[in-house]
Formats: sequence, structure tokens, C-alpha cells
Amino acid sequence: MTQKILLIEDDATTADFVANGLHEEGFVVDRAENGRDGLFLATDGSYQCIVLDRMLPGLDGMAVLSALRGAGIATPVIILSALGSPEDRIKGLTSGSDDYLVKPFAFAELLARIRLLLRRSQGGGAAVETFLRCEDLEMDLLARRVTRGGRAIDLQPREYRLLEFLLRHVDQVVTRTILLEGVWDYHFDPGTNVVDVHLSRLRKKIDEGEARPLLHTVRGAGYRIGAKP
Amino acid sequence: MIARSTTFRFAALVFLFQIVGAAVLLLGLGALLRSQSRAAAVDQAETLRADLLLTYASGGMPSLSAAITHRLSGKSERRAVLFLADRTGKPLAGNLAQVPQGLEPDASYQLMKVARPGHAEAEAMFLSASQLPDGGVFVAGTVVEGERQVFSQLEHATASALFLALLFAGTAAFVSTRLIVNRLQATVTTLGQVREGDMSRRVPQDGTGDAFAQLGTEVNQALDRVASLNAELKFATETMAHDLKMPIARMQYALDHLARIVTEPEARAAIDRAMTESERLQAMVETALTITRAEAGLGRESFRSTDVSEMLATITEIYAPIVEDDGRSIVVDAPPGFHMPLHRQLMDQAIGNLIDNTLKYGAGTITLSLVPHKAGAIIAVADEGLGIPEDRRAEAVTAFKRLDPARGGGGAGLGLSLVRAVAHLHGGTIDLGDCAPGLIVRIVLDGERA
Repeated sequence: MTQKILLIEDDATTADFVANGLHEEGFVVDRAENGRDGLFLATDGSYQCIVLDRMLPGLDGMAVLSALRGAGIATPVIILSALGSPEDRIKGLTSGSDDYLVKPFAFAELLARIRLLLRRSQGGGAAVETFLRCEDLEMDLLARRVTRGGRAIDLQPREYRLLEFLLRHVDQVVTRTILLEGVWDYHFDPGTNVVDVHLSRLRKKIDEGEARPLLHTVRGAGYRIGAKP
Repeated sequence: MIARSTTFRFAALVFLFQIVGAAVLLLGLGALLRSQSRAAAVDQAETLRADLLLTYASGGMPSLSAAITHRLSGKSERRAVLFLADRTGKPLAGNLAQVPQGLEPDASYQLMKVARPGHAEAEAMFLSASQLPDGGVFVAGTVVEGERQVFSQLEHATASALFLALLFAGTAAFVSTRLIVNRLQATVTTLGQVREGDMSRRVPQDGTGDAFAQLGTEVNQALDRVASLNAELKFATETMAHDLKMPIARMQYALDHLARIVTEPEARAAIDRAMTESERLQAMVETALTITRAEAGLGRESFRSTDVSEMLATITEIYAPIVEDDGRSIVVDAPPGFHMPLHRQLMDQAIGNLIDNTLKYGAGTITLSLVPHKAGAIIAVADEGLGIPEDRRAEAVTAFKRLDPARGGGGAGLGLSLVRAVAHLHGGTIDLGDCAPGLIVRIVLDGERA
């Protein structure tokens, strides 16, 4: 099924960049250049995700968001903002958006976050799982035990948390910032290869000596756990 | 120190005026009464003397002697002192036994204590002696013993009154100073609250229209001005953020797009380099803006009660692998469950910067510590490296300054400036110290705001 995404963005460069990228990834993208048109299109309700700029001429992004939520439209919304301050991020998230991305961002970051939102809103995912699995890698959340092909893997608590997050997002690309936010609720990008070191340690424990590696590095984006190379 | 404080000076002045006022009133009144009493006594004696000298002029010694005896027999002259002696000093008439010793003839009235015959004790009296042409001595005067006793009591009363005045003056000085301090208290409290970040506070108006009310009004107008400048600064900062960041964003979008369509290895490598540089540029702009915002006190609305111990544990967990890859270790030394209001994300960033610094320039075990301090805490990052010499520590905190450019790394020298700005935002300071060996950077938070 083709996924429809609504892009509400007044800056032509950003809009082209996002729209072209999404188009290449197989999404159908509708564009609006101001808040009023965006709100009009969004109330149609046929979109799986809305990418909304925070600062728009006419009707501001936050106003569009509250109007949407006020009208009972629950389409996932990612806010794009040049305002990088934590206050703005918190304001964005508490006023009904599902994610918040500060400009400039890598397209891979936006794509990964859109895919996570789509999966979350379409896959239900609300069920409380007690058992996570990817191929022969299994995690028993109740016993707090991890095995690969029956072999027990001894993980440090931080490695366990990281693997749990990855296993909840099998076959999805997760970026470094998504991991920092998702695993540690840490909203500052340390900039160094802090996350990469975590992943390479985890990879050593779950993939070393295995014929088929499960933890993959996605160039320029982040990581993915899954059977596909 | 205290003597230079205005309130102390004011209290001292009130005290001094009160005391001087009381002293002038009491002592002055005493002096006035004394001089009036003297004038009345002298006047009375002088009238008698003049009258009797006339008698002497017309009738000589016998007439004067008779007149004296006559005068003294009258009830109206009980306070009068009269005495007449012949040239040998033999008393002829009067109510004295002899010419008192020390009484100079033909001088002005002298106050003396003389015992009259028939009186048990010596009495105070004003006396004046006149040498008569035939060699006799005539003494006239007025007894003022009654007044002397009254004045003596008055002196006691004055001393008591002055002592009471001392107490009253002290009380008045204290009360008036308290009054001023109390009137200023509302203004002082308001300014304190504003300093702690609550820009909406204003001095309550009491409608008295006095100098204190005027001060309050002036302070409020100044605060309104600060608030509007603050709002302008916030707007300018955000506009600048937008204006600076958009071109960088566009550059990165273009590079990002190129990276996805270009396959030629050399071109890809060039694009990667360009992306790294643009990311550095972006990080510098972001950090500079964060510092500006934090130093301007923007972001206090995001303070949340935070489990600082847990925060340090999380940071340690995130950084542990990269620290361990360096052959070093990172530990936390903090009492469990310590809460205080913090800007979590900025504090994360500040501590992250300190860890980055020690990864670049330090050595040995990295210790994140928390020590409760006043209402807040001292959060510190320490290592076991070479540290920074004491005379260069101030320099280390300066923006865009790197102590050793040769060891550059990727930073713009904003790391410690950011840490300091974050400390300021929390009403605190930073402090670089020596933990022999090694550098310790302390973020000292008094925790008085919040």
C-alpha cells in the first residue's frame, strides 16, 4: 500500500529536499506552503503522517497542530523546527506532536523517524510483549535472558537495554539520536562516536562467530537489526 | 564595615539627635532656672542694701544699725541676710556672727555657705560686703538654701531623665531603622525574586506616595524595561538562530542529496568531508546560541525536579564504553536519590562537554561526583591527568580559547564557556581545581533559585 505523507513547509529548499527524498523512498507526498492550506489538506484525514514546519506564514505550525488535534485527527505529526532549544522541543511534544526534529537534519534521520511513527501507528504495538525475537536471537523479558541459537549471551544492563530497544524495532533503521532518546531518554547528541562504541560491543556479543550477522550498520543513517544484510 | 552602612549611620544620627535634644532641654532648663534664681536673690539683696545705705547716708552708723534690726524683725525679710560691724570688726547688728571669711568688700555678689546664729546648718546665700566711710563693714544678702536644695534634686532628676533619654534614643534609633528596612524589604525581596529568574515579579504599590513608594515605582519601571529588553533579546536570538541555521541547513540538504546520488568514490569522500565541516559549523552555531540563551537566563521555565544521582549514572552508562576503549574508566560518586530542579538537557550537555574534555586532554579514571551544598549541590568531573596550571584556569573558561591549539581536536573552544553558562543559568558558578594529580571542574549550585 502506498503511504501518503503531507508536508507543510514554507521554505522551498527544505520542502524540495524532504519531498524528493520521500518520493525516492516510494512515498506519495502532498505539499502545502502555509498553515491554512496545510490544515485544509490535513483535515482530509487520508495521510499516514504529517511533516509540519514550526514557523509558517499565516497560521503558525503549533496552531495547525492544536487545530488538528482539536478536530480529533490523530495522524502522527513530526515537527520540523529551526528552534533547537529544549523548551521548544518540550512545547512541541506536549502540544500533541509525536516527534520533533531540529533543522538542519539528515534526511536519513527524518526517514527513520517517519518509518518508526508509521510502524507504531499501523502495527498497533500496544500489546505488552514478554518475548522479543529476531531470527535465532531471542530475549525473554521476564527472565531477563538473551540467547542466540540456544547459546546464552551474557549482557551488561546497558547492553540489555540497547538490545531490547533494537529488538522492538526489528528491520527498522534507528539513528544514533533515536537510540540515545529511546534507550536513555538523553536528548543531547554527544557528537563523538559514543553510540557506535556501544553498538560495536553489542555486535561482538551477539554476532561474533555467527554465520549470519543480525546487527547491521546503515551507512549515513544508523543501525538496523534484522535478517536481511 | 558596619559603621559605613547607611542604616547604621542613620540609627546613630537619630540616637545622637535624641540625646543632644534631651540634654539641651534638661541642662538648659536647669541653667535658666539657676540664673533666674540668682538674679531674683541678688535683686532682693540689692534693693535692701541700697535702701539701708540711704539710711546710713542720712543717719550714720546708729541709724543703719537700728534699721537693720528693724528690718530683720519683720516677717517679710526671712530670707534676708544683713550684718553691720564697726571698724574693729565688732558686730553691731544683723543676723550673722561675723563678716564671713573670704568675702571681699565692694565686690559683686558671692555665693557662700555660711551658718547663721541660731541655725543648725550652714546655708547657701548670696552675699555682698560694703566698706563704710567710717571704717565699718555692711553685709547684705539673700539666703538661697531652699533653691539650692531644689536644684540639687533637679540635678538628680536631670541625670535620671538623661538616662531615660538614652534608652528612648536607642529605641527610637532602632525603631526608625527597622521602619526603613521594613519599607525597603518589599523592594529587596522583589529584586531577589527577579534575580532568581522570576521576571514577572513587581514591587507591591502601597499608595503612600512617599520616597519608598517612589523607589518601588522606579524599580518596577526599570524591571518593565529589563523585561522588554529580555523579550527583544529572546526574539533576536531566535531570529538569529533561524537566519543562521537555515543557510547551513540548505547546505546540508544539498550535500545529503548529493551523497545519495553520487557513487564515484572520490566525489563521495569530498562530500563526506564537506558534510563533516558543515556539521562542525552547525554544532558551533548551536553551542554559541545555547550559551547566549543560557547567559541571558532563557530556559529557566524548563527546570524540572531531577534525580541528579540517576542523571550522573545515566551519563556514566552512555560514556562508559568510549572511556573504556581509551583504557580508562568512569565512575560515579553520589548519594542515591538526590533531587534538585535542573535544566536536564543543558546539564547533560555541560557534563558531556566536561567528559569530552577529559577524553581529549586528561588521563586516568574519570569521577563524576555529587556533594550536597547549601540548598543545592556541587556536581564535579575529575580526572587524573596533568590538569591546568592555576594561572591559566581563567583563560580556559574563555570562549573560543584553546589552551593548546596544537591539540585542537574538533571543538571551537566553547566547551567550558557552555558549562559556565549552564552553571549561571542555574544561579551557580564553575570552579577549576587541582585534585593532585588531575583537573576537577566543579559546577557549584547553591540551589537558591527554584
